Amino acid sequence: MARFILRRLTFFIGALIVSSILIFLMIRLAGGNVAAIVLGKDASPTAIDALAKEYGLDRSLPVQYLEWVGGMLTGDFGRSFRTKESVADLITSRLPISIPLSIAGLVLALIIAIPVGTYAARNTGKPSGTLVALLSQIGIAVPVFWAGVLLSLFFGVKLGWLPTGGWTPWSSSVSGAIKSLVLPTLALGLVMAASLSRYTRTAVLDVMNEDYVRTARAAGRTKTGALLSVGLRNAALPIVTVLGLQVAELIGGTVIIETVFSLPGLSRMILSNVAAREVIVVQSTVMLIVAFVMVVNLVVDLLYGLLDPRVRVAR
Amino acid sequence: MTAPDPDIARSGAVESSSLESKPAASEPVVVDKTGRVRDRRHWNASLVAGLILTVGFLLLAAVSLFYLPADPNLPAVRDRLLPFGSPGHLFGTDSLGRDVTAQLMLGARTSIYVGAGGALLGLIFGTITGLAAAASGKLTSETIMRGADILLSIPGIVTALVLAATIGAGAETTIIALTIFFVPSFTRVIRAAALRVLEEDFVTAARLYGRRRLFILARHVLPNIAGVLIVQFTLYFAVGILVEAGLSYLGVGVSRPSISWGLMLSEAQQQVGISSPLAVWPGMAIVMVVLGLNLLGDGLRDVLDPKLAKGR
Repeated sequence: MARFILRRLTFFIGALIVSSILIFLMIRLAGGNVAAIVLGKDASPTAIDALAKEYGLDRSLPVQYLEWVGGMLTGDFGRSFRTKESVADLITSRLPISIPLSIAGLVLALIIAIPVGTYAARNTGKPSGTLVALLSQIGIAVPVFWAGVLLSLFFGVKLGWLPTGGWTPWSSSVSGAIKSLVLPTLALGLVMAASLSRYTRTAVLDVMNEDYVRTARAAGRTKTGALLSVGLRNAALPIVTVLGLQVAELIGGTVIIETVFSLPGLSRMILSNVAAREVIVVQSTVMLIVAFVMVVNLVVDLLYGLLDPRVRVAR
Repeated sequence: MTAPDPDIARSGAVESSSLESKPAASEPVVVDKTGRVRDRRHWNASLVAGLILTVGFLLLAAVSLFYLPADPNLPAVRDRLLPFGSPGHLFGTDSLGRDVTAQLMLGARTSIYVGAGGALLGLIFGTITGLAAAASGKLTSETIMRGADILLSIPGIVTALVLAATIGAGAETTIIALTIFFVPSFTRVIRAAALRVLEEDFVTAARLYGRRRLFILARHVLPNIAGVLIVQFTLYFAVGILVEAGLSYLGVGVSRPSISWGLMLSEAQQQVGISSPLAVWPGMAIVMVVLGLNLLGDGLRDVLDPKLAKGR
């Protein structure tokens, strides 16, 4: 086990280093003279030089890279050129929107997907199971932003039950904040549930024919009882792995759905900073997102190794 | 419609359904896990439904090359927001009076260009790296596979946003972003498929005969994983269409005078209170095409490569 953890940790650190280099190069090499672009056409050469000097843009790329990484390690993610706000502040101010949204979406997806997927596996070959499988196929084809647009059309415009978009901060009204998150969560959760239920169905189908399920049945459990007591627990392993892989997708979905409902979350911050060529803000934010995805995958891998001894040896 | 699902074949729990008449005697039969004998090479419901939707989609785009009912970018103030079924404008017009039918047709063309372009480039690079990883020593193979793992940790949408900012938004940028996004997944699948072929006896025979590694890859491995390549291309074509629509919706993909279904949805949402059908048609188009390609891919997987269904 110790060797397994060590190997995973080594890869994790290596992956962080490689991806930080990739992100830095991708953003900086195509950049041109950043200071000149940020200040606009009318800026004087001295002003451009001053800005470049202030942010260290005049130094060589390797030096800039090392300074950036060094700063990130000590908690300094850089500052915006225009507003002078620190990237850490920019991000933390958006998290009260993005985090509840993505977690609620994921939880909703799981609440729907696990029973539905199990049901579909349990009823394979019957019309009801086929119908559920077909519905999840259709669900996979629905773009998350279209689901959002339709929900806001129906519940927002037609019925007028919920806001069609916009954000009420938690500090001014908790119920208002929850109301503005309901439709985005529904859109995100429903669309993710479609693909997750398919994975669940496959995983359950796999364990359904295993010996331990048969043993449980021989010991007197009903088919459903056997599935619930031993089957689902074994099917949980592949589902957890898929969840780890879906984190990247969850972030992508959150970005789009925040735009659909004009929520001022992380995505709007990224979009506007990308447009404004705020290279330092963008590269730090992107790096933090990638690091987050990697941490989740690391945790999933370690858990998996803890639960299933075979994994420790195989990898 | 009956079960369009490859997982059925995988579990062997039931026989997959067939729209076609009885299989011919010469067709290969397979004995599955439960000991039941079933044929593999038949038309299944998934394949037929997928083919119909996909061919319809390709035809729509092909027709747009020769014929458009109207100029999709030409505003006509008098004809604003015409409903579905108006004479001359089958799907009505948008808030500027532009014909929706023509926009949908051009949108199909963009979907094919970007979706298929990204899937094809991803497939080409993924095949190279996947085969290299399968056929080379531990160090190269580990390097390639760990590299793929790293790329998979970068959300595709983030790559696309950064690229749009650095080299400018557009169809080609989206294709590049899709390629970067797809290559790691293709690499994994193709390596796994190639490794299975490399274990076969005919590869050993070729090796003993003195064939070079590159020859074996080109002559023996590639033809034997062709089914995998076709299936993967179809499935990622669908993903590419979804991503393209999403990026164009966000405003970092295709923009006028080019037209994308995602762009149409974004324009429709700006006047959602007035005319909801505008927000329905492009979305329906995306769902039908993506569903069609996914069904086609699943159906093809059952027909072309029964082994793949296992390795998924």
